[in-house]
Amino acid sequence: MISILLFGPVAERAGTATLQFGHRPGLRLQELRDELSARYPQAFEIVCFTAVNGEQVRDQQTPLADGDEVAFMAKFSGG
Amino acid sequence: MEGSKGAVRIQQEDFSQDEEIRALKASSKRMGGIATFLGCARDFSDEREVTQLAFEAYGSMALAEMNKLRDEAITRFGLLDARIVHRIGTIGAGGQIVFIAAGAEHRAPAFDACRWMIDELKQRVPIWKKEVSPQGDAWVTQHP
Repeated sequence: MISILLFGPVAERAGTATLQFGHRPGLRLQELRDELSARYPQAFEIVCFTAVNGEQVRDQQTPLADGDEVAFMAKFSGG
Repeated sequence: MEGSKGAVRIQQEDFSQDEEIRALKASSKRMGGIATFLGCARDFSDEREVTQLAFEAYGSMALAEMNKLRDEAITRFGLLDARIVHRIGTIGAGGQIVFIAAGAEHRAPAFDACRWMIDELKQRVPIWKKEVSPQGDAWVTQHP
């Protein structure tokens, strides 16, 4: 299982801050993002950054392992 | 470089600039210059009155990024010490949001590092801000 984390504006648009996604062999970040984007289009239109297990990941072809934590995040606005 | 205890924090409660500066100064008597930045909650934004700001963070990643940022600043600017504190939760207009302090032997690296840290924090640290106003709430998705 992959744990999905959403925060702030993305969570508000999706109506949830956490999701679970069934892992399958060969699953890559791009496929996960595409499937979630289809389910939550308004939320994912503002996603700018992705993190896997707390590290920002730019390569959308990154393979995902069972138990990974993936965060889809809007542009940061702290400070 | 391992962060000094308490030098990097994310917290709901308010902080004291005096206490932060005292802790920074305690790390070295060679410190000749300390530059600080204090970010506060404005009561007006985009032509709207703002009564409160609400901050949410990806806590574990935000703290790790802030620690990396501090370590990088110490190395890059040759600082003797640095501190970064960011609040989350609800903060009323006029309240304190973020505090950054850079201590160096001389003023120039202290000023430069302080500016660099707040600019980098805004780009790199996963924290989001919502403005609460009488006209409704709105997440801020850009920052000048």
